[in-house]
Amino acid sequence: MDLLANVGLGFSVALTPINLVFCFLGTLVGTLVGVLPGLGPVGAVAFLLSLTFKMEPASAVIMLAGIYYGAMYGGSTTSILVNIPGETASVVTCLDGYRMARQGRAGVALGIAAFGSFIAGTVGVIGLMFLAPLLGRAALRFGPPEFFALTLTGLTLVAYLTQGSMIKALIMATLGLLAGTVGMDPISGQERFTYGTLTLRDGFGLVPVAMGLFGIAEVLENLAHIGSQSVYETEIKGLLPNAKDWKDSARPIARGSLLGFFLGILPGPGPVIASFVSYAMEKRLSPYPEKFGTGVIEGVAGPEAANNAATAGSFIPLLSLGIPTSAIMALFMGALMIHGIQPGPLFIAKYPELFWGFIASMYIGNAMLLVLNLPLIGMWVRVLKTPYGILCPLILLFCLIGVYSLNANVVEITIMLAFGIGGFLMRRAGFEGAPFILALVLGPIMETSLRQSLLISRGSFGIFVTRPICAVLIALTAAFLIWPVIRPKKRSVN
Amino acid sequence: MRSNIAVAAILLALAGYVLVAANALPFGTFHVPQTAFFPKILALLLLMLSGVLLAQTLVGTEVRRASERIPPEGWIRIGVTLAMLATFALVLERVGFLLATFLLMVILLRSIEAQNWRKVIAVALATAVISYGLFAWLLGVPLPAGILGI
Repeated sequence: MDLLANVGLGFSVALTPINLVFCFLGTLVGTLVGVLPGLGPVGAVAFLLSLTFKMEPASAVIMLAGIYYGAMYGGSTTSILVNIPGETASVVTCLDGYRMARQGRAGVALGIAAFGSFIAGTVGVIGLMFLAPLLGRAALRFGPPEFFALTLTGLTLVAYLTQGSMIKALIMATLGLLAGTVGMDPISGQERFTYGTLTLRDGFGLVPVAMGLFGIAEVLENLAHIGSQSVYETEIKGLLPNAKDWKDSARPIARGSLLGFFLGILPGPGPVIASFVSYAMEKRLSPYPEKFGTGVIEGVAGPEAANNAATAGSFIPLLSLGIPTSAIMALFMGALMIHGIQPGPLFIAKYPELFWGFIASMYIGNAMLLVLNLPLIGMWVRVLKTPYGILCPLILLFCLIGVYSLNANVVEITIMLAFGIGGFLMRRAGFEGAPFILALVLGPIMETSLRQSLLISRGSFGIFVTRPICAVLIALTAAFLIWPVIRPKKRSVN
Repeated sequence: MRSNIAVAAILLALAGYVLVAANALPFGTFHVPQTAFFPKILALLLLMLSGVLLAQTLVGTEVRRASERIPPEGWIRIGVTLAMLATFALVLERVGFLLATFLLMVILLRSIEAQNWRKVIAVALATAVISYGLFAWLLGVPLPAGILGI
């Protein structure tokens, strides 16, 4: 009964007119950044973070979440119509989605992507609703050693799951942790590496760094190769999949939803990995694997479901443990902390209206997205035709204003530009930005828990292996680090 | 290959710098770790990881995705854009938000993919006014007035 009362409470928060408006705005902006290649959900959330300062915390979280799962919906549109993924979680949708469009089945591909996303989004939210409180209660028994081990495992897993070189991801994570030490020492309050700069006393701001690494760096990358992208000119008709389409897609959607949800919980780019794994799984289970890549509907339905379910799953570690597992979750943590709310084991008990309001808003948001994406598809196609020469200055201006509006401080624009240039060059050398931003946020948690653990144990590192949960996490970390070294040298590439 | 060695060298230097710079802060002991404790551990870790990267690159086991070459005009676009953004940051508080934004947009719209002048002026003007309205009036962000006085 508790659950019903909580869900009721959630809807009473989410259905207030102001929160409905913010939910709609979030899903609208999310679809927009999903549709447009060039600005991903991380950049968009970073930009809008500054606008949420004056909002109620519930409205802020509802809007930002809308951007995140909205982008997953919107991303598929670009993949299907242009063969360019609107954001990385829609990369595999290009394979069969674009082929379907070429065969005159763009409408069906868009339709099944939207319906699959809706179903999976709902499954994910239900999972989140049940699992987050459970995990939160379990985490109440966690002490500093467990939190240290958890952050360590999280960062190592992110590096392990990275698509590029693991050593480079570990380096980026270490650099992020180092950047996190700039500013005041979280325990003694002494200043570190600030060089007398007032702006750096509170450390590197999350927003300027994220906007630099994910907004500016992305634009610079696109500026390097302005190409002609052509929207596939086809009449989009028949958005409603027929009985056979549904029959072919039902299982992939069901499997993708479950798989995506659980992969989403793990640290790392959950939605991206979920979509790839789902595609590989559907291909393996299919009676006609050779047809994958030629426009089969399973290749769209499964991955699109998986990436949406994963967005819901990825909220679990943040809300119940206080540990963000991806760049975007790090920004969410920032959004909550701006309002003085610390996510973690006590979060759900302390802020029930916020947690359940957020859950309820995701149900509503998923329904809104269905309306935004199907009947309004024509509008998104027109948006897609905006030339990059106009889009790019607009994105850059948004980044500039977004950062400046935080504290009316020009130094933060400089920080953003510096991280933008650094991020761009590092990306070209094969270093990804995600482990960095995650480590920047986890740094203070990690340092505090490490130093507190050593105080408790009187300087003995044995505390990390004698406590059972810690020991398991440390063993996992060791396994992630050692496995790439000892595994047989065979790389399977999908 | 070359970029890896360059990055590893920079990282090694950075790690060395942090180790030296952190000497100015109290390290404490393992019983009671102080301010320099965590940065020094991280610097050592960075030293080690950069060493591994360097070794992997020299031995040739590092898996590398070749990034696409950027054509010269791409570098020019990037250079011009960055210069404009930096100039914007420099002059924003002196010139004022409206004028700085308008000029930035005009230059970017012309330099990235030259749009025709009518479109450039229309888009730049609309962006400056709409963003000013949104931020200054609706959200109450104090945007610099500058020489226009608004």
